[in-house]
Parts: sequence; C-alpha cells; structure tokens
Amino acid sequence: MIRLEHVSKVYKSSARPALDNVSVEMDKGEFVFLIGPSGSGKSTFLRLLLREEVPSKGRVYVSNFDVAKMSRRRVPRLRQSIGCVFQDFRLLTNKTVAENVAFALEVIGKPRNTIVKVVPEVLQLVGLDGKADRMPHELSGGEQQRVAIARAFVNRPLVLLADEPTGNLDPDTSQDIMLLLERINRTGTTVLMATHDHSIVDSMRRRVVELDHGRIIRDDARGVYGVGR
Amino acid sequence: MRTSFVFSEVVTGLRRNVTMTIAMILTTAISLFLLGVGLLVVNMVGKMQDDYLGKLEVAVMLTNDISVNDKDCTQQPCSSLRSQLETTSGVETVVYENRDKGYERFKKVFESQPELAKLARPEAIPAMFRVKLEDAQRSDVIVQAFTGKAGVKKVDDQREDLDRLFGFLNGVRDAALALALLQAFAALMLISNTIQVSAFTRRTEVGIMRLVGATRWYTQLPFLIEAVVAGVIGAVASIGLLVVTKLFLLNRVLGELFAANIIPEVSMVEILFLSPILVGVAIAISALTGYVTLRLYVRL
Ligand SMILES: Nc1ncnc2c1ncn2[C@@H]1O[C@H](COP(=O)(O)OP(=O)(O)OP(=O)(O)O)[C@@H](O)[C@H]1O
Ligand SMILES: [Mg+2]
Repeated sequence: MIRLEHVSKVYKSSARPALDNVSVEMDKGEFVFLIGPSGSGKSTFLRLLLREEVPSKGRVYVSNFDVAKMSRRRVPRLRQSIGCVFQDFRLLTNKTVAENVAFALEVIGKPRNTIVKVVPEVLQLVGLDGKADRMPHELSGGEQQRVAIARAFVNRPLVLLADEPTGNLDPDTSQDIMLLLERINRTGTTVLMATHDHSIVDSMRRRVVELDHGRIIRDDARGVYGVGR
Repeated sequence: MRTSFVFSEVVTGLRRNVTMTIAMILTTAISLFLLGVGLLVVNMVGKMQDDYLGKLEVAVMLTNDISVNDKDCTQQPCSSLRSQLETTSGVETVVYENRDKGYERFKKVFESQPELAKLARPEAIPAMFRVKLEDAQRSDVIVQAFTGKAGVKKVDDQREDLDRLFGFLNGVRDAALALALLQAFAALMLISNTIQVSAFTRRTEVGIMRLVGATRWYTQLPFLIEAVVAGVIGAVASIGLLVVTKLFLLNRVLGELFAANIIPEVSMVEILFLSPILVGVAIAISALTGYVTLRLYVRL
C-alpha cells in the first residue's frame, strides 16, 4: 500500500537531509506508528506521501500511484484516496460540523444526494451524531478531532495519515481518539500515525517505525515507544 | 462541478471584500465608459464623413465688381473663370450664384433666426461659383489654381472647416481611448490585487480543499468568477453611464444640432450595439487578469 525506496529529502534551506535513504513498506490494512524525536523527519515522511513535497532521491508509491513521478494533474486523485488528520484539527471555523465534513466532498464534486447520505453515517461512526449543527468552537478538543477524522474518512480513503493527532489532547481523550482510529483501521483502511506519545504506542502494541535524523533505526512488528532507553 | 458551491463561494468572496469590490467595479465601469465614448465618436466621425463629403463644395467668391455688375456671368472675367472651372479635371458641377440668389439662400438658412437674417445686407454677400468635386478630398487643387486670379476675391473650402471639426472629434476620441487605457490599467491592478487578498483570506479553506484532493481548477474557479462577476457589473454600470450621459448631457447640449441633422445623433440603438462589446471586453480582461494572477502570484 505504501512503499518508499531509498528516499532522501533535502530541503533547500538546510544542509542536513530531513530523510536519509529511507526504504520501508507498509501493507494494506496495517496500523503503523511513526515515532522519533522532534526534527527526525516524521512530518516530512507524511508530506512525501501526499505529494506536498517531492523527494530529492528515491521513489514513493501509495497504492498504485508513483507519487514522486506523477504529473501535477493527477495529484488530486492521489489525495482523494488519502485521508489526513493533524494536531491542530484544521476545521473551518465558520462552518458547522456537518458542513465541515460535507465540504471535503463538495470540493471534489460529489453529488448532493451522496453527501446528504454519507455525512450523517460518518458522524455516527465517529460518535458525533446529534452534534452535526454545532460550530467547531462549541466542541471540545477531542470532539473537534473527531470532526477532522470524520472529514478525513468520509470519502473512504485507502490510507489515513495522522500527524500527532493526539498532540493537543489529554490522555483520556487521546485514548478515545485511538479507539476511533482502530475502528477505522478495522474497516481495512491503512493507518499511519506519527506521534510522540509513549503511552499510546506502548498500549497499542502495533508496528513501530522509528526515525532518527532522517534514518529508520527500528522497525518492530509489535513495538513499544522506548526500548532500551 | 457543483455550481451551487462555486456560486456561494463567489458571493461570500465579493461580500467579504466590499470596499475592494466596489473600487474594482467603479474603475472597470469608468474605463469601459471611456472606451464606449471613444467608440461612439469613431462611429460619429465615420457617419459625418459619409454624410458631408458628398455635399461638400468649394466656394469661389468673386469680387464686388462682378457681384454688382454681372448677374448672369456673361461678361469677363466671370465667364472665362466659369469655363476654366468647368474644364478643371475632377470638377463635377459648377453653379453660378449671383448676389440676389446668395441672399435668398442666406435668408433661408437663417429662417429660424430672423434677427440674424435681418442683420445681413445683400451688399455683404458676394456672387460665387459653387463647385462640386468628384472627390471632395481634392479641393486644394481648386484652392491653389483660383486663389488670387483676376475677379476672384477668395476661395472658401468647406473641407477645411470640416477638417477642423473632425480634428476636434478625433482629439476627443484619442483622449477618451487614452484615458480608457489608463483606467483599464488601474482596473487590471485592482483585479489582480483583489484576487491576491481574496486568496490570502481564504488560504485555510483552499489549503483544506487541496488536501482533500480538489483540483486546481475547482479551487481557483471561485476567484476567477469573482473577478469576472465584478467585471460584468462594471460593464453594466458603464452602459448605464453612457445612457445617462446621452439623456442628460448630449440631448441637452447638442439636442438642437441632432434635430437639425448637423451632427448625427448618438442613438440608444448605437449604445445598445456597443453593450455586448463592453461586456465582452470586461469578461476578457477580468478573466485574463484573474488567470494570470492565479498562475503567477498565488500558490494554491
Ligand atoms: N519546509 C521546510 N524547509 C526546510 N526545512 C524543513 C522544512 N520542513 C522541515 N524541515 C526540517 O526537516 C527536518 C525534519 O522535519 P520534520 O517536520 O519532518 O520533523 P518531525 O519529525 O515532524 O518533527 P516534530 O516531531 O517536531 O513534528 C527538521 O530538521 C526540519 O527543520
Ligand atoms: Mg512533525
């Protein structure tokens, strides 16, 4: 589902590579944690998958997209098959919960009758039925992140990328969000989550890929956050 | 493409930035109004040239001596002047008009202003040949050949007067078009600026759109339509401005000249014919400016 082959990324403004000869493969339906200290290249990894950046070297594949080489015209197609969640939620503050989720479908030209049908479904899945008409500022942080997850998942993506989705949340709320991500993973969606959160990684016992200075230093099938540290 | 989505984006976009939108519309309107004035003058000059050139004459005015003594142009030097005129190549007709006939014609022209007609005495009007040319543009041949000849007081070329009028009208046209161009430039920069501001205020939205896989076309279309809508409103306003100018300025100031057919009337029909051109120009300019701005200055 996701494959990187000898990928390096050097940003123009820095000499040190953000990713350094990374090769890794993740299968369909996997749940993978991407961990590592700040600046180790986790966000860069995710941005390469979304084609927000292109690698300086190497090849990137997501599903059957040759991400690094594809033409700019095809990028929207790639992004329609990837869902994204961030630490800062990125909701539109002037739209309701339902409108925020519907927005993601509207702007890719989905017909109205589809939107009316699937938005309530996905809101129920994330546990927000009954809050469809709230504005984002009327929700807790955890609820806002649920909206963001609903928006990322509403188009049934093959892959869900989450960049520190629990970074702004307290441990209990974080746990709820993780349960939700697991549920999404069980529908067959590959989930790749970058995080700093030890307890979450430790409690989930999923595959852990650890980056340090842009290199993969560990890839455990059932890992914990800090072995030998 | 969901049209309702694009439409609501456009409306919010224009409303969010009301002052800029108004500035954009006004500048476009003034620019197109001036363009319209320029085109109407071009039209008018064309019509006048057609109208007048056919009627133009060269008047070879004769000395007082002839005016007093030679009612039928039978004596010298009048009769030889006539035959010389008639044999000059390019001359179509030569009509001798003695002082009495000239006075009659004068009175007729000023029929509506009897006070003015009373002022003129027959003695002040010379006998003349009214010479019509095959090509009114070539009147200087007659002017050069007959000025200063024995019996000729003065050769009066109507074309010169008309040229002066055309010169004035063409000046108006050039000034209007030059100002239109300048205003168009201002409109262009305003459109470009508005789109940049608009894109900046909507960067979160656009960022999300790109992230969930909206096409570039879908993210940019609202901005483009916003510019075009403002352009079209500007064009409609400019047409309104032209109509108001006709009704309240031209009709009042030049109404009598229109009625007397001295200046061809600027009709509503003409303005009507002009409107699609102005709207078209507005759409073309705003769409092009929008497109170039989005390509060059806005990274979406
Ligand atoms: N747009 C950019 N331009 C230049 N350098 C960048 C850019 N983005 C990231 N970097 C650099 O690349 C390296 C990796 O950054 P990245 O954001 O991938 O780290 P991260 O693992 O996500 O860190 P964190 O845990 O703090 O989010 C860092 O040294 C960072 O300074
Ligand atoms: Mg990061």
